[in-house]
Parts: sequence; C-alpha cells; structure tokens
Amino acid sequence: MGTAVRFMPLCGVLSEDPLCYLLQVDNFSILLDCGWNDSFDPVLLENVKSHISDIDAVLLSHPDTSHLGALPYLMGKLGLAAPVYATLPVAKLGHLYMYDHVLSRQAVSDFDTFDLDDVDFAFNSMETIKYAENRVLSGKGAGITISAHAAGHLVGGTLWKISKDGEDIIYAVDYNHRKERHLNGTVLLNFVRPAVLITDAYNALSVQTPQKQRDQEFLEAVQGTLRTGGSVLVPVDTAGRVLEVLLCLEHYWGSNRAYQGFPVALLTSVSYNVVDFAKSSLEWMAENIGKHFERARANAFDLRHTTLCHSLEDLAALAHGPKVVLASMGSLETGFSRLLLEEWTEQPGNLIIFPERGQPSSLARFLQQVPTPPRVSLTLSEKIPLEGEELEKHRQEQALLQKQKLEEETRAREQLGAVKAEEEERVAELEAAQDAGPSGASLQVAAEPGGGPVPPVPAESAKRKVFIDGFELPPGAVHPMFPDAEEPKEWDEYGEVIDPDEYRQKEDDPMDLGRNLAEAQGGRAAAPEPEAVPEEDPMLIDDRPSKVVTKQVELDVRCKVRYVDMEGRPDGRSMKNIIEHVAPIKTILVHGTREATENLRRFCESKSGASVHTPDVNQWVDVSSAVGAYRVKLTEEMMSGVTFRKMGDYEVGWVDSQVGPPETQEQTTEYGAVEKSQLLPLLPLRGGDAPGHKAVLVGEVKLSDFRQVLASAGVPARFADGALHCGKHVVVRKVAQQQQLVIEGALSEDYYKVRDLLYSQFYIV
Amino acid sequence: MAKRKETVSTDVRGDKLEITPLGAGNEVGRSSVFMTFKGKNILFDCGIHPAYSGLAALPFFDEIDLSTVDILLVTHFHLDHAASLPYVTEKTAFKGKVYMTHATKAIYKLLLLDFVRVSKVAVEDMLYDEHDLERSMAKIEVIDYHQTVEVDGIRFWAYTAGHVLGAAMFMVDVAGVRVLYTGDYSREEDRHLRAAEMPPFSPDVCIIESTYGVQIHQPRAVRERRFTEIIASTVMQGGRVLIPAFALGRAQELLLIMEEYWAAHPEIQHVPIYYASPLAQKSLLVYQTYINSMNDRIRGQFEIDNPFNFKFISNLRSIREFEDVGPSVVMASPGMLQSGMSRQLFDMWCQDKRNACIVPGYSVEGTLASTILKEPKEVVLQSGLPVPLRMSVHYISFSAHADYTQTSDFLTELRPPNIILVHGEANEMGRLKSKLNTVFAGTDIKVLTPKNTQTVELHFTSEKTAKTVGRLAAETPGEGTQVGGLLVKKGFTYQLMDPADLHTYTQLSSGSVLQRQSLPYRGSFFSLRQRLEQLYEGVVTVDKAEVESLSVHGVVTVRHESDELLVMEWASDPIADMVADSVVALVLQLDAGASEKRLALVGTGSVSERDELRLRRRLLRDLFGTVDLDEEAKVLTVKMDGVQAKFDYESKELECEDEQMADRIRTAFRRMDAAVHPLKV
Repeated sequence: MGTAVRFMPLCGVLSEDPLCYLLQVDNFSILLDCGWNDSFDPVLLENVKSHISDIDAVLLSHPDTSHLGALPYLMGKLGLAAPVYATLPVAKLGHLYMYDHVLSRQAVSDFDTFDLDDVDFAFNSMETIKYAENRVLSGKGAGITISAHAAGHLVGGTLWKISKDGEDIIYAVDYNHRKERHLNGTVLLNFVRPAVLITDAYNALSVQTPQKQRDQEFLEAVQGTLRTGGSVLVPVDTAGRVLEVLLCLEHYWGSNRAYQGFPVALLTSVSYNVVDFAKSSLEWMAENIGKHFERARANAFDLRHTTLCHSLEDLAALAHGPKVVLASMGSLETGFSRLLLEEWTEQPGNLIIFPERGQPSSLARFLQQVPTPPRVSLTLSEKIPLEGEELEKHRQEQALLQKQKLEEETRAREQLGAVKAEEEERVAELEAAQDAGPSGASLQVAAEPGGGPVPPVPAESAKRKVFIDGFELPPGAVHPMFPDAEEPKEWDEYGEVIDPDEYRQKEDDPMDLGRNLAEAQGGRAAAPEPEAVPEEDPMLIDDRPSKVVTKQVELDVRCKVRYVDMEGRPDGRSMKNIIEHVAPIKTILVHGTREATENLRRFCESKSGASVHTPDVNQWVDVSSAVGAYRVKLTEEMMSGVTFRKMGDYEVGWVDSQVGPPETQEQTTEYGAVEKSQLLPLLPLRGGDAPGHKAVLVGEVKLSDFRQVLASAGVPARFADGALHCGKHVVVRKVAQQQQLVIEGALSEDYYKVRDLLYSQFYIV
Repeated sequence: MAKRKETVSTDVRGDKLEITPLGAGNEVGRSSVFMTFKGKNILFDCGIHPAYSGLAALPFFDEIDLSTVDILLVTHFHLDHAASLPYVTEKTAFKGKVYMTHATKAIYKLLLLDFVRVSKVAVEDMLYDEHDLERSMAKIEVIDYHQTVEVDGIRFWAYTAGHVLGAAMFMVDVAGVRVLYTGDYSREEDRHLRAAEMPPFSPDVCIIESTYGVQIHQPRAVRERRFTEIIASTVMQGGRVLIPAFALGRAQELLLIMEEYWAAHPEIQHVPIYYASPLAQKSLLVYQTYINSMNDRIRGQFEIDNPFNFKFISNLRSIREFEDVGPSVVMASPGMLQSGMSRQLFDMWCQDKRNACIVPGYSVEGTLASTILKEPKEVVLQSGLPVPLRMSVHYISFSAHADYTQTSDFLTELRPPNIILVHGEANEMGRLKSKLNTVFAGTDIKVLTPKNTQTVELHFTSEKTAKTVGRLAAETPGEGTQVGGLLVKKGFTYQLMDPADLHTYTQLSSGSVLQRQSLPYRGSFFSLRQRLEQLYEGVVTVDKAEVESLSVHGVVTVRHESDELLVMEWASDPIADMVADSVVALVLQLDAGASEKRLALVGTGSVSERDELRLRRRLLRDLFGTVDLDEEAKVLTVKMDGVQAKFDYESKELECEDEQMADRIRTAFRRMDAAVHPLKV
C-alpha cells in the first residue's frame, strides 16, 4: 500500500567520484544525475550500462561534468532513451560544457568516445522545467510529481523533489545556502520533514573562513602576482563557477583603475556562448542581478574588463605582459589550461590559482597538494596535419578502405538475388570507375555534399533503375506507364460540382516569408565566415587528415600554486545545521570520501535518531516508509465537534470518529492529472461517548521562555544547575533528548501556580 | 448580484466566493478585480483609465479595505493593468505581496517612469512620483511561468498569455477552489510571442477579457498584408505614415513586420522608418535579455542574429531631431494620440491627404484615436484650432487580444462552470454574453457581467479531506471502525495522525510533563493504602522498589520516602492530575489525624454489599416511591402506578412489563453504579 522506494548508487558514493544514482519509486526508475570525470573512461560507467534499459527518466541537477558528463555517451552510444529533465540553464550550459570537452579533446587527440552529434542529440531533446514548477508524470510514472527548486552553487542548479502520495523524496547535492554574487542561496531549508533526503557529504569535513575573506585572499594573490610582473592562470570549468569568479574579478577591476591595464581573458572554446547565455538568463540568478538590471539597465554579464578568447591566437593578440587568464578545464586534464600550464609553470613569477578542488586523481588535484610537488610530469598530445609521404600513405589507406567497403556492400547486394545481378554489376562498375579517379576523391564527395563533381550516369542504367519491384506493365499497355485512374465528375442541375478550395487564393503567410528570408539571410551571413577564416571559428571541426603526436614532458613547478575555495558550497558545520533543520525521516548520504560520509552519518544519527544510509556502489537500500496512508473525508457533522487551536502555522484538534461507507472520488490535481482515490468518510461517533485517549501536550517549551512567563506572572525564577528554580519549593528541569519536562516540588501554592503556567504553554488535547 | 456590502465578511468557514471588479467592469481600462474566499483576499491587476487623469483614473479601491489584501497579481505591464501599483503600495494601507513575471517587472519600471514624466502636467493631480515608483519596485516579487507559489494558504501559478512580452494568466487556488484570471490574452502565435496556453484542467471560475466581444479578427496574414500595403503605397506616393502605438509591447511586433518587409523590398529601402520613443533603446535591452520568454521562432533567429537589432529602423528621441523631408514612416507613442509625440506628428500631418495614419490597436472611448476612427470632417488640434482631417485613417488591429473565435474556443475547451466577463465596453460585453449563453445553452455554465463595484457571489461546497499518516494508517479501517487522532491543519490541508507521529509529520512536537510532588505524611503507609483501595480500583504494590511504593491505577505512584514524607510521581494528564489531587486530599485528611476509627468501620466487601443494597433501596424510594428489598435473594422490587419491576442484584436482570419504566430504572441504576462504585479510570 505505501510507496516502495529503493535507491542504488551506480557511482559516486563513499568517494568523490562523479555522481550517478538510481532511484526507484514503485516501478518507476529515475536516474539521478549521470556524471563523468574529465578522463572520460567508460569503465566508470560499467554499472550504469546494465541498467540503461530500465531507466524511465533522468533528472539532472547541475550543468557540470560530474553531474551530466555521461549523458551524451549514454544517449548517443548506449541507447539511453528516457526523457531527461533539467532546468533551462542546466540544459544550455551543460550543452556548452560538453561542447567544450569534445572540442578541446578533438583539437589534440583522436577523441571518439562520443562526438558533437551525440552532444547535440542528448541536449536538444531535453525537457526543460522551471523552478517550483510541478511536472506530473504520466504513463508508468503516473502519480509521481517532480519539481525543481533552486540549489545555488551553479546557475540553474537544482534540488529535485520527487513526490508520490504526498511523500517527498528530496535529492539535494552540491547546494549552497549562501547568497552569492550571481546566485541566490538554496531553498532547501523550506522543505521540512521529507520522507527521504538524498544529500552529499562532500564538504562534511571542511572548515571555511567567511566568503568575503576568501574573495579577498583570491584577489590579493592575483594582485600580488600582477604587480610583480607575473601572469595568473585560473583553471576553471567551462560554464560553472567561472561565472562567479568572473563577476568577482569584474567588480574588482571596475573599482580599481590601477588594474585596468592588466587584461583579463576568458579562454574556452565556448566563452562567447557561455557569457551570452548568462546575459539572457537573469531570471535564474541572484535577486540583486535582476534588480541591478531593472534599476540601471546594466547587465552584470556585460563584461567590461574581460576579453573573451577562443584560441591561443586570440590570447596572444592581447597586450603583452602580466595578465589574468581563466581557462578551461579546471581539472587540467585537457583544454587550454593544460596547454598554458606547459608554458607558464616554469616561470617563477607566475601564479596558478585554483578556485575549486580538482577532480580526484586529476592533475589539478595533484598540483593542489600541500606542499606543492616540485616536479610534475605530464603527457601532452598534439594533433598535427599529415604532410608529404604520410599524407599520401593516409590517402591510399583511405582509398583502400573505401574500396573494401564498397566491395563488401556489393557482395552483400549480390546475395539479395540473381534477378538484379546484371544491374548491380553495372552499378559496381560505375562505382569502381569512380574509385579509379584521383585517390581520396570519393572521400571528398562524402565530406562536402554537392561540392564534388557528379559523375554522369549512363542513360540505360538510369532507365532501368525505374523498374522496381511491384511495377508491372498494365495489361494491354504498349509502353510502360504510371497507373492513373480518372475520377468521375459529379454533376448536379447547375453543372459540375466544384470544390471551392481549388479556387481559393493561396494565402501566403508573410510571417513564413519573413522566416525564410531571415533564414536565408542568416545562412548567407553565417556561411561565408567559416570559409574566410576557418582557423578562427572554434565550432568548425578540422577535417584534414592528421595524426596525434604525444610527448612526455617533465615540468619544474617554479610558479606559485594556490587553492582558494570559491566552490560555493557549504562547510561541514552549515551542512549539519541544514540537515538538522530539514530533519528528514530517512537520509541517504552520497558523494563524499569515506571519512566525510562517516562523519556526517554519525552526526545525523545522533541528531534525529532517524535511519541514515550510506550504501556502497551497486547496493540497493530500501527507504520505503514503513506504513502507508489513506485519505479520509472530513464530514461537516464530524468537524462541527472538533475544536481547533492555533499553534504557529498549524491548527490542531482531536478527532474521534467512526468510518462510514467508503466512497470513490475522482479528483483533478492542480496540474491536470486525474486522480482516482478511495475516500473514507469520517462520521461522528454513534452512541455518544468517545473512548478516552491519553492526553497529548502539543508544543515545545523552552525553559528560558518559560522563565519569562513566570516572571510576568509574578513568580521569581532563576537558573541553577541546569534547572529552573521557581519560587522557593518548585524546580522545573528538562530531560534531554526526550522532550520531557519534570516539575518537582513540595505541596504548596506555588506548585500549582507554576504547574498551571506550564500547562498554559502547551495545547493539551 | 447585489450591491456590495460595506463590510468584508470575516467568516472563514463560509464557502462564499465573492468577485468584484473595481475597474474594467463593463469598461476597458483600469483593470482591477478583487476576489475574496475563505478569508483570503486577492487582487488581480491595478491599472488606470487612460481617458481620465488623477484620482479619477484609479479603480474603485475605496470599495475594499486594501490593508486586507493578501496578494496582488499583475498580469502584464500595460498602463491599464499595472499603472496604479505605485499608488497602491505607497499611498494606501496595502501591505500584501505583489507578484509579476520577470519581464513585466523590468518593463513596468520603464513604462511607468515614462508615464510619470509625460503626465507631469499638474503636480496636485499626480498619483505618485519617481520615488514612489522606485520604492514600489522593491516590493514586487517575481514569478516565472508555471512556478507554483504559496502565500499563506493561497497557491497560484502563471500561464503564458501571449499579448505582450511577459504577459501572464494567473490561476489561483484557495482551498481547492480555482479561479483563472486571463488578463489580456491572445491565442494566436505571432512573430515573437507564444500563444496563450490552455490550462490543463477546468477552473471553477474564469475571469476573462472581452475587449473584442463578438468581433472576429481577419486572419493575421491578411492584416499584415493590409498594413504593409498601406504603408508601401503611401510612401510610394510621397506621403508620410503615422503609426501611433504604445511604446512597448505590440510596437515590437510591428517593427519586426516592417523590418522584414523593408528587407524584402529594396525599392522602398530609401524611405526611413523611425521608432519615436524615448524608451526605444532601453526596451531593446529588455527584449534581448528576456528572449527565453518568447517563442521558438524568434529564439531560432536569435541564434543567428539579434532580430531586435533593426537595420532599417532608427530611433528618434524627440520631435526636434526629426527632419520632416519627404516620405517617412514614424511609429510614435502614446498609442491613442492623447498627447506627446504621436499627437504632435498627427497635428503636423493631418491636413495632407497623401498622408496616412494607421491605428494598430484598440483605442479607448474618448481618446483622439477613437474619434478619428469615426471619420470626422474636422479635428481639433492641440492648440485648440479646428482643422479639416484630410489624411487617410486606417484601423488594423494588432493588439493581440482574443477575438470571439478565440474566446469561445478557449471557453468551450476549458468549460469553467462560471464565466465572468471583464475588460470590455458594455455593449460588446453584452453581445458576447448572449452569444456565449447560446453556445453554452443547456449546460450549467453561467456567464456573468458585473459592473464596477458590483459583487458576484458564488457558493462552493468544498469537501474537506484529510490524509491519514503514520501509525494511524498502518491499516485501512473497515466501515464502522472508530478512528481517533490528532487532526492537524496547515493552510487548507489536513492530516490525521497519532500523537506519537506528530513530530514526524509536522514541525510541532508533543511534549510531556512529569510531576514529582512531595507531601508531608506521618501516618502509616498501610492505612493510606487501605484508604486508597476503598477509593480506587487497581491499587497495587510496586515490586522491586527501593522504598515502599504503591501504584494507583498505573498512573500515579506513591512512594513512602521517609516516615514524614511521601513522594508522588505521575505524568501530566487531566485524569492523572485528578487522581493525584484526590490522593493529596486523602493524605492531608489522614495526616490531619482524621479518626482511625472510621477506617475500622469500613470492612470487607460483603458488608459494603449489604450497605450498598440498602443504599440503593433508599435512593430508589426517593425516585419511584414503593421499593421492597429482599436481602436474602438480593432482589429489589419497585412498584409504581400499578406496574411492578423486579431487579435481581446478583444477575443484574430487570423484569418489567412497561418498557418506559424499565428504561427509567436502568438509567437510575447506571447512575447509582457511577456514584457507588470505586472509580474506574
């Protein structure tokens, strides 16, 4: 009867691996995030593979790699076909994140784990959802409502609420409770007492200094380096925390003219697109950003001091001398940051400053060690176009491959039937003739449709190709002709019956005209650019045959390396406060080292006494609530006998009733789904007397508050030994943990007075 | 429908929903509709009337107590829907919350700043100034489409409404009763806006605009062709075209149309198009920023190039910058030719018959725009000079209000049981009402057209349901089972639970109070026990206690702490408290040295049984007259009015012929039982 809820981590528990979890609500399987790390090793996804076909929906919480990195691979290569839900910024920025990954990898290696098409495929079909929008699922997931709520940390960052039958499961990872420059804090604190809370333990052990101090630390380090003539490399992720770091720098540059001579550059493959998107999604950002826009019409992401760069050439075009470069990726595993690293590490004046902890076992993590490792060895790969002999060899290989492929196809076709054998042969001949042309020509044709010359097709062959199966000469026909049936015309007394539609003037919609025009213009505008300057367009993929050259380099780390926490996550203490406030009935802890998870688990158990789970990978935990729930109808007759008392937001009353004949009720929920439910009407008790029930004291009394109550009633009270001494003979104390108050005293007038006052603090039903 | 009562009903249990248009009832302009249900007060929109100025332009706010309004929902930024907001927040007792969409909020400020500057004619007539507007901005909260917000038990969310950028239809849910307020809406997608959404379910009440009544728009394609053809032919003949339009909103659509037409027709590209609005540049920025609120078409264009970056249209900040040489097209605000730039241009051009004026939207009765549509021979210039009107005047509606087809389709699909028409001239509204009545003939659907300040009362019998949770829900009870528990109400939702689950499902906690009371007692513990046994059943010795202890009924424990001291311990509960109090009374009585002798009198059960029988006889005699007692057989015989009843004390059986009398005797015995026997707690 109750909702069966099961949870299984596929990756990212008891460690800092990327996040990927499977949640089952009754029979509906939801994949919560599908993260990957910057090494894109499919081994990490082994666990996901076996569940691909079971997944009914995917919920994404943040646009970064560790929350959605595996999506293109899962959808493009492993055939994941479930609908994916995310907020608009997560969908758009996630798209850019993955673009950046693919582009930066393809620039230096033959990366083919997944490609841009997979990225487009995965992100173009996403179901976008607004914050606080309730989405009712249908079909297999009928009865489940999902809603996204602001999580902070990254733009569009989401905590998911998955509800069924009034039971809430909250998935909240990487939230930030503090308001930042570009984001509001999370709304997690608005959720109280969810049935299940799935949250991370990533920062459970961290201790933070105030954000302001950290910003200051960051800026001072940057300033110091610039002043002494060094450059600053800030390894960042494509579209994540970089926005906050950008605003921090912009603000500082804006208010300190002295630094305006030092250029700031954002160097990623998609930097323009990221900032452009940020400009048009103010409604997803901090209140202040929106207010600033309304007040001053100044978009915070109209960057005045930052240059957007898409290549090392763009960077080189900047003023020489010290500069600040924010380059992707933050892990240093790939991207411009890795390229710059090679150049900059060995110069003692420079600074590499990490605003985020690097992914585990990444180069960034390695460099963040204290003390900084003196030497670092890394493999750098480069993609260089083939030249001379190698190019020739490559072409020949390609041609050979092409030929083999064609022969195979021909062979396959031959098997189809002897009837068409003759024709097929001709085709094969034709294609062979084409192959005999300049080597690589056919490759060219495939790459540039319409670009290559179309070989003339022999007339005979063209004619024969018309004869397809099922096309036969009509009986009595001399020549082959297409079948045609003449429709009999209808006549009435006025003549032939006409169809008015045939005579109606076709109304062409000027809007469509405009659209076509715009597209044509856009096409024209966009087309010449890449042709003119193909090197400068980051989105254009270089199709020239090339090879990958790897070299091993040993770098002396002579520059300064620092890490300043600008991650936008709560520290251990805030996390604990938040969990204590939310007070979930059941808690599942994920994403955090074994020690951090253990630390948080102990805390949760000590606080709520509720069940806390820390499952291992591939381990199911059952978090269904123990008992079910049913709905009752509160009849007017019964309700007239109930007296309510207001307790804060609540009103409480005691009900004694008798169940009447069950009714079925059809109800439309607020979002349109029709729910059929059984209702049990509660009728007043027949036969008068209610069975007695044990009195319930509703409310919570704080001794300090009670002291004031006593004082205002004229009873002197003071605290001593953790107890409240009221008057001469009465002591009130609190038994820890149990919400129990003990009142002790001798038989006296005071005793009854104090007791009455104490009772007045509760609502007794 | 009755004239509004003076007082707002505070009866929360009443299921009466009242809807009162404070403006836009049988008129267009100053939209403001007040709704109250279950003690929750909601105000939709707060506009001003464009044809009036000063306080006269306001909706009838004095009809309600603005301080009781919980939330104010503003559908879009047009002056007739939003312009009295600074007045409401700054000049009245209003202290509720204000909601609008992000785009609306951004443009609202732009427009109202302009409005304040333009209407700075008479200071004493000003409703508010820039500072009030600035302050009102801080009080506006933003809501995104589909986002559900709950304020104090009122849940509401917004749907796309078409019409202008950021326009919303609000659905409000109070205790399960849902009201949809459409504001101005359009079901037709255009160049940059999405069409109004169809809510996925039927609301209980639909408050809908009726601007165009039973009129049917020409297809959009036809209107656009007429528009561009008039412009093209006028400028080809050397004339000027004036398009008076509201600075923001529909103007952007017209600009997109003209831009496209110019791009496709190189032969007229030499003719300049001006967008004469001080807001032009600023509004462009807003339109670029909120691109995500627009339709896919324009978002697609945006990927290539910003469609609001016009190539053929230039901005005109003031009339001084304008060089009136040769043909031109000028779009100028305000839209109804009240004053300002559009009026100045009109005065300049109205006497030349080559010129044309295209009124692209709805014009409110009483404004110059609506006057010239009636094709008068003469018009009066701003200077007061009457001149002949020679320019051609055209009316092509691009105002993106629903027409009759859209309205009736919308309502037929939605099927709300109550339809309230607002925002329409009385005649149009009346025609729409009768037409809708024909459409919905034979159904329960009611169509209402309240006038301003006229209240519509609707009644809803809402069914209260509660969800039973926790221990109480361990199994579903069958019919006739008794169910008891705590009913917890939050907002308009109820939960029924076991007290022990209180802290699990709510933020409330249930506490307990343990009482420990010491009292002096020098008597023997044995005698106390005997006395207690006489008073209560279930007095038992507590085993394994350090000192001699008794438990009375399992609720109160009495310990013989020392020769002079007793300690009582119990958990607070009305019954336990009572038991404890009686024990105290007893102890005090004993301690005061009350006679030990009387204790001795109280003997064993058999004695008391005989006494009891005698007692009962005495009591019955008082009630019924003759009563005989057979002490050996323990039978009481009651005789009254010739009827005899026999009561066997052992078997508790009553023999009696008269049912009525038997009943009376039984009742008497039950009462006696309660009085004579020790308390069963």
